[in-house]
Amino acid sequence: MENIGALALLIAFCLAIYSVIGSLVGAIKKRPFLITSAERAVYAVWMLVTVASGILVYAIMTGDFRFAYVAAHSNRTMPAIYKFTAWWGGQEGSLLLWAWLLSCYSVVVAFSNRKRHRVIMPYVNATMMVTLGFFILLIAFVVSPFQVLAQGKGIVAVPDGNGLNPLLQYWTMVIHPPMLYLGYIGFTVPFAFALGSLVMKQPGDAWIHTTRRWAIVTWFFQTTGITLGAGWAYAVLGWGGYWGWDPVENASFLPWLTSTAFLHSVMMQEKKGMMKVWNIVLVSATFFLSIFGTMLTRSGIVTSVHAFAQSPIGKYFGTFLVLFIALVVYLILDRLDYLKSESHLESVVSRESSFLFNNLILLASCFAILWGTLFPVISEAVMGEKISVDAPFFNRINIPIGLFLIFLTGVGPLIAWRRSSTESLKRSFMWPAMGGAVTIVTLFALGIRHGYALISFGLCMFVTVTIAVEFFKGSSLIKTKDGIGFIPAMIELTHRNTRRYGGYVIHMGIVAMFIGFTGAAFNKDATVEVNMGDAFHIGRYELKVRDIRVSENEDYLAQHAVVDVFAGGQQIGTMEPEKRLYRTSKQPTSEVAIRRRLNEDLYLNFAGTSGEGSKPVIQAYVFPLVSWIWIGFWITAFGTGICLVPAKLRLSYARTEVVGYAGKNVQVEK
Amino acid sequence: MRAPKWWDTQAKMYKWKSSFLAILLAAISIAQTPTQLLTPAIRRVGDKLSCLCGACKNTVATCPMLECHYAHPARQQIASMQTGGSGDDIIVASFVKKGGLQALAVPPTEGFSLFAWVMPGVAILLGLTGIWFFVKRVRRPVALAQIAPEAMDRYHLQIEKDMAKFE
Repeated sequence: MENIGALALLIAFCLAIYSVIGSLVGAIKKRPFLITSAERAVYAVWMLVTVASGILVYAIMTGDFRFAYVAAHSNRTMPAIYKFTAWWGGQEGSLLLWAWLLSCYSVVVAFSNRKRHRVIMPYVNATMMVTLGFFILLIAFVVSPFQVLAQGKGIVAVPDGNGLNPLLQYWTMVIHPPMLYLGYIGFTVPFAFALGSLVMKQPGDAWIHTTRRWAIVTWFFQTTGITLGAGWAYAVLGWGGYWGWDPVENASFLPWLTSTAFLHSVMMQEKKGMMKVWNIVLVSATFFLSIFGTMLTRSGIVTSVHAFAQSPIGKYFGTFLVLFIALVVYLILDRLDYLKSESHLESVVSRESSFLFNNLILLASCFAILWGTLFPVISEAVMGEKISVDAPFFNRINIPIGLFLIFLTGVGPLIAWRRSSTESLKRSFMWPAMGGAVTIVTLFALGIRHGYALISFGLCMFVTVTIAVEFFKGSSLIKTKDGIGFIPAMIELTHRNTRRYGGYVIHMGIVAMFIGFTGAAFNKDATVEVNMGDAFHIGRYELKVRDIRVSENEDYLAQHAVVDVFAGGQQIGTMEPEKRLYRTSKQPTSEVAIRRRLNEDLYLNFAGTSGEGSKPVIQAYVFPLVSWIWIGFWITAFGTGICLVPAKLRLSYARTEVVGYAGKNVQVEK
Repeated sequence: MRAPKWWDTQAKMYKWKSSFLAILLAAISIAQTPTQLLTPAIRRVGDKLSCLCGACKNTVATCPMLECHYAHPARQQIASMQTGGSGDDIIVASFVKKGGLQALAVPPTEGFSLFAWVMPGVAILLGLTGIWFFVKRVRRPVALAQIAPEAMDRYHLQIEKDMAKFE
């Protein structure tokens, strides 16, 4: 079976190469049959990679411990769902998943465009297949998932496998990696279309219209993947953090920042025909950062607790990146004439400018994170001494950037396209600015003295009022004109321009997340060793450890601490944090207990017992407002859904055309 | 008395294994001693030092692992040096002497490390300069008048046509 899997990958690699050559030669020599044949090869590649993936999954599910990969990442006692997740639990399997998802995307692109975009499709296919071919090359020749365990000249099977890392046996980990991969890989599609458009010197922005939904959907996959990872860290790692600025976390965040910048900047091209070069740069940067993030996670360049085992694949990724970046830079420079702006900026005080600053801030954040992530490596190379860049550095740099970004989130909708007069700015800013100011003053009066937190809450209110006013103004007009209720008017308004109002809902989601992030300024923690029955305090809670219980099942043994929770003299619940020891891996893990509320989470971790084994050690945390991060995600998901609904009114944007110039005080003939 | 069956043996083995693991779990738990209390003084110094356990990107003050092989002894060392009357700078310097510059949580603001702090600001400045050049290049004053008459006529005609549709 392992031979069939390896053979399938080998043939898939050959066909991917054929598809690249066929597409390019067909396009250059104008041979339609060759182009069609190359497109059909995409389907064949998908089938072969699917066969290879099926074989690996079957081996994992049936416990075929002849496979080195299965023995390393699965065992007999694991629940079926976690056995399935072992597919991407290790280096080789996750690369196979990556290749399979990319092959799925390639098939969808080839099928849905079989009658459209015929001029650029050969180049789109070629780009997708070069990328897919690269990943198949890795799993076919460098880190094969089909290696078997051998003794002497014979293949042997071990009685049982090591099992998946217990920390990964959690429900969000079932979907976190595939979501991230869908997001990472998904940006190959807009990149491929951009490259195709660039090669063919296509005027206009057809590639943007074609890939707009791809970009939104893949951006949402990235957002989901990152949030699920944060949720996993919060609920599993036992320290209550959702973001630790680990290199691997950073690697997932970098393409998100550039893709977010792209989603904003692309509007400039759609509405004004501006920033064409910049959009190509952004979509390329997102693709390259996705590949770079994968390299970072797998090559051992930076040390991370999340990284896969070190392997020799770093140099392959490096070569791939250098070649592709060189190609894109050459194409952009060579085709600058085709990428000229179609219109001009009329005023610095305009929506266009706010998008420019939005892009600057997102890119600055991206650069700062990339720089901080790589600085230990750079410092070691330059000075011969590694310099640590820990969470405080990233927080110090990114908190002001983040606050400015949330400010721009509020400012953007208040400024008109083309230009805004001082009067209109005063009118637009009055309510949001008042809302923000009142929030800051109220919170200050209530005793909050944390500067950044005050600014953040104020800005969150500023954005909330901005968006509320936008919805209110539009809905009121429709209500009056059509004589319908306010809620139907609001739905009608949203339906008329789903991208705009869906975007506002997404902004509300981001605001909710910022409220959650800001809550971290008021975290409380205590680590205590208590006698059974004694109480200790954290925040407004009194906690009493009543009992320690032991339980077991086939997979692990567990100790539960039974903790009664009191507030204001009343018992408000009982929490049972747990410590587990997995039988196969002998690895201990913590199962924290969380009392989730909108205002704060009470978070308990049972660290074990000390002394003569009678004194439980409890780590207790109070995390104010953290639930708003997860609520923000759901709001973002809802907003993304709205953006994907086709708008009721098909909007076509009139582009600014400057037809003459005037000195001051010149009258226009009426 | 019946001879022991294979399943009896298996059941016994399971019990033995469970007992062994229970002892192991207890041992792991017993190995946990309460962490050094994080007094504000320890936290203040610990915030300047990186936790070099390799499993987190936290500081010595914020590393959440109870028996972290780096943060726990580091806190103890900070406490003992503070008891001995050492100031914050001396304590931090002693960690740097032992572990090198990577013992610090953030890059120092001198020498090559200064680049770590400066570069994000430089990037923003470069970005602002880029925006300035972009705006300068693509900005045109708003057209108010002196429009070519034929262009104006074309627009008037278009407006009349559009208005006629509404009548």
